[in-house]
Amino acid sequence: MPLFPRPANAAKKHAEAPNAGARRRSRKAGAVAAAIAAVMALSACGGGAAPQNADGTVELRFSWWGGDKRAQLTQEAIKQFEAENPKIKIKPEFGDWSGYWDKLATQVAANDAPDIIQMDEKYITEYSSRGALLDLSKYDIDTSKLDEAALNAGKGAKGLTGIAAGINAATILANPAVFQAAGVPLPDDTKWTWDDFGRIAAEITAKSPKGTYGAAAYGTDEASLGVWLRQNGKSLYTSDGKLGFEPSDISEWWAFLKELSQKKAVPSASEVVEAEAAPLDQSGLATGKNGMAFWWSNQAPALEKASGGDLKILRFPTKTGSAADSELWYKASQFWSASSRTKHPQETAKFINFLTNNVKAGEALLADRGVYPNSDVRAAIQPKLTPADVKVVKFIDQIKDELGEAPAPPPKGAGAIQEIIKRYTSEVLFERLSRGMPARRRPMR
Amino acid sequence: MSAISELSSITRRKGKVTPEEKKANRRDNKAAYIFLLPWLVGLVAITIGPMLMSLYLSFTDYNLLQPPEWTGLHNFTRMLSDARLHNSLRVTFTYVLIGVPLQLGVALLIALVLDKGLRGLPFYRSVFYLPSLLGGSVAVAILWKQIFGTTGLVNQVLAMFGIQGPGWISDPSTALGSIILLHVWTFGAPMIIFLAGLRQIPNMYYEAAKVDGATTLQQFWRITLPMLSPIIFFNLVLQIIGSFQSFTQAFIVSGGNGGPSDSTMFFTLYLYQKGFGQFDMGYASAMAWVLLLIIGVFTAINFIASKYWVFYDD
Repeated sequence: MPLFPRPANAAKKHAEAPNAGARRRSRKAGAVAAAIAAVMALSACGGGAAPQNADGTVELRFSWWGGDKRAQLTQEAIKQFEAENPKIKIKPEFGDWSGYWDKLATQVAANDAPDIIQMDEKYITEYSSRGALLDLSKYDIDTSKLDEAALNAGKGAKGLTGIAAGINAATILANPAVFQAAGVPLPDDTKWTWDDFGRIAAEITAKSPKGTYGAAAYGTDEASLGVWLRQNGKSLYTSDGKLGFEPSDISEWWAFLKELSQKKAVPSASEVVEAEAAPLDQSGLATGKNGMAFWWSNQAPALEKASGGDLKILRFPTKTGSAADSELWYKASQFWSASSRTKHPQETAKFINFLTNNVKAGEALLADRGVYPNSDVRAAIQPKLTPADVKVVKFIDQIKDELGEAPAPPPKGAGAIQEIIKRYTSEVLFERLSRGMPARRRPMR
Repeated sequence: MSAISELSSITRRKGKVTPEEKKANRRDNKAAYIFLLPWLVGLVAITIGPMLMSLYLSFTDYNLLQPPEWTGLHNFTRMLSDARLHNSLRVTFTYVLIGVPLQLGVALLIALVLDKGLRGLPFYRSVFYLPSLLGGSVAVAILWKQIFGTTGLVNQVLAMFGIQGPGWISDPSTALGSIILLHVWTFGAPMIIFLAGLRQIPNMYYEAAKVDGATTLQQFWRITLPMLSPIIFFNLVLQIIGSFQSFTQAFIVSGGNGGPSDSTMFFTLYLYQKGFGQFDMGYASAMAWVLLLIIGVFTAINFIASKYWVFYDD
C-alpha cells in the first residue's frame, strides 16, 4: 500500500494544462500552509478552549510535590472524589520539590497553570500578591471546622488564597537503631539543650562505624533557623515583611554548626552538600547513616517507611533545658490553592472542599500532609491511621501547650531563602568565610 | 525544484526575460516560499519571536505573573553591582578558557593516534565518540555525580592506595574542575572533525618531508598543524560558543543551585535561577543578551585572530 495514497482524480489533474494546474496547486498549497501556520500559532498560545467535553465532563489539573507514598495516597483521594462527582475528572501532575517551583512559575507565566495547586508558605505571598491565586472565600468551601490558626495562615491581602492541607511542626527525628548500635541512650526531649544535642551527636559518631554520624547538619533550610531565632527572641520575618533578625543572631547559629562539624557530630562538609540533593528516601536518616535529623513532623511516616524501622519524634533542644522554651509553632504544611485563571472555579472549589472537609478524602490522605486541620475529619479518621501517623498526631498534640506565638507569614521573595541559607551553610562548613561573615552579607535580595 | 527546471532557468537567464517567464519565476519563488514555510514559521515563532520578546523584556521589570513594566537600562546597571553575577562570569570564563583548549587538545591527540591507521579504527572511533553523544545528557551528569562523590568510584580507587580523596563535586575547590573534566571527556565531536581533516592532508607532503629527513615532531609542526589550522579554527569557534552556553552538566551536578557555595554557578545557571527561581525574568532576559554579546565578541576576536594563524591551502 502506498504511504500517501493519491486521490483517484490526481492523475487527471496532472494532465491539465501545466500553468493552470500549477496555479491551482500553489493556491491550494498556500491555503494548507496558512492552515498549518494558524494551528501552530494557536497551539503555541496554550490553553485554548476550556477542556470541557461534549458530555459535560470537566477536566481539572491538580499539581503537588512529594514522593511515591504521597502520590499513592493522593491518587486514592482523587478516585474517591471522581466516584462522587462523575462529571469532574482530576488529572494529577506531581514531582519532586526541587523542580516543582520552576515548573509552576513557567506554567503560570505561560497562562497554563494547573487548576489546583499545592502551595507552600514560602511562595504563597509571592503568587497571591501578584494575583495568580483565586480568593477561595468567594466560593462554596466550608471552613467552619478548620482550626483558626491553620485557616488564618492562608489569608492575605488578596483574600483566602490557600487552605491548609495539614498541620505541621519542626521536629528532630531520631533513629533508635543508630542510638542502640552506638550504645547511646535516647535523650529526654523535654529537658535537653543544644549542648546536649551536640554532645550526644558527637558521642554517636565516635561510637559508630565510619560514615555514620550522630546528626544530620542543620542549615539546609530555614526551619531550624526559625526555631533558633525564636528561642533567642527573634524571628525569621516581621509582620511588615522584613527580616526579623540581625547579623549577630544568625552568625551564632552558623558558629554552632561549625562547632558541631569540628567535633564530627555532623557529617563532613562534602557529605552535607551531597545530602542536600538526596531525595527523602535516600536521606541519611532513612539509610541509617544519621542518628538524628531535622524534618517536618508530617515527613516522619514517609521516612519511617523508607528506613524500614522505627523512628522517634523529638522536640527541638532549647537554650534553657525546658520544653516550655522550645518556641515551636504549628505550621500549615501545605496549602490547597487554585489558579486565579482557572476556567472552572466552581468545580475547583468543589474539589478543594472535598479535600478539606470530606471524611473519604481524610481516609485516603491520612496524615501525609500533616495532621488534618478539620477537627471532624481528624476525629473520624483516627482509627484508620497507621502507627506512624498516630505518632505524628500524638506529637502535635503533646506540644500544644508549649507553642510560641504564630510566626509572621513569609513575605514576597521568601522563596529564595532556602537557597541562600544552603549557600552560606556550605561556605561556613568549607571554611570559605569567617563565621561572622555570612550574616553580614545581607541574605535577602 | 527539479534539475530540469533549474537547468532551464540557466538557459533562460541568457536571453531576454519575457513577461511570461517573469511570471514563471515569480511562481517558482512562491513555491519555494511555500516549501520553506514550515521552517520559516518555526524560525519566527520559536526563535526570532521569543528573541525579540526577550530583548523587550530585558528593559523591563517582569515577574512572570504580572505584565512587564518598562524600566529602561535598570537591569543592565544592576548587573554592575551584582556580585553573584560577577562570580558566575568568573566561573564561566574559567570553564571556557580551560575546558575548550583542553578538550580540543585531547581531541587532536586521539585523532592523531587513530589516524595512524589502527586496526579496528571504526570501532575505536565509535567508542571515543560515544561520550559526545552522552556527555550532555542528564543521565551521564548523574553518573558523574556518583563517580566523583565522597564515596564514589574515584575515591574508592584512591582509597586502595591509601589516599582519602575529597568530595570532588561537593567541595567548592574541586567542583568546577570535575565539570570541566566532564566537558573534556566529550571530545568525540571535535575528534571526528579532526580525523576528517587529517585525512584531507595530502600524503605527498609527508613523503617529501621524510625524504628530507624531517622527524615526526617536525612533520607535525610544519605540516599537520598548518594544514589542519582551518579545522582547528572551526572547532575552536564552535566549542567556545557551545561552552559559553553550557548548562545541563552544571545544573544536574550541582542539583540546580550552582553549589557548593556558587563554585559551579555558570552564567546560564544564574540566569535560569533569576528567571524561574526568583521571578526576575526581566533581569534574566538582560543577562541572556549580555551573554549573546560576550559570545559575539569572542567569536569576532576569534575571526580577527584567525588571519594570523589559520592557513588556507587554496
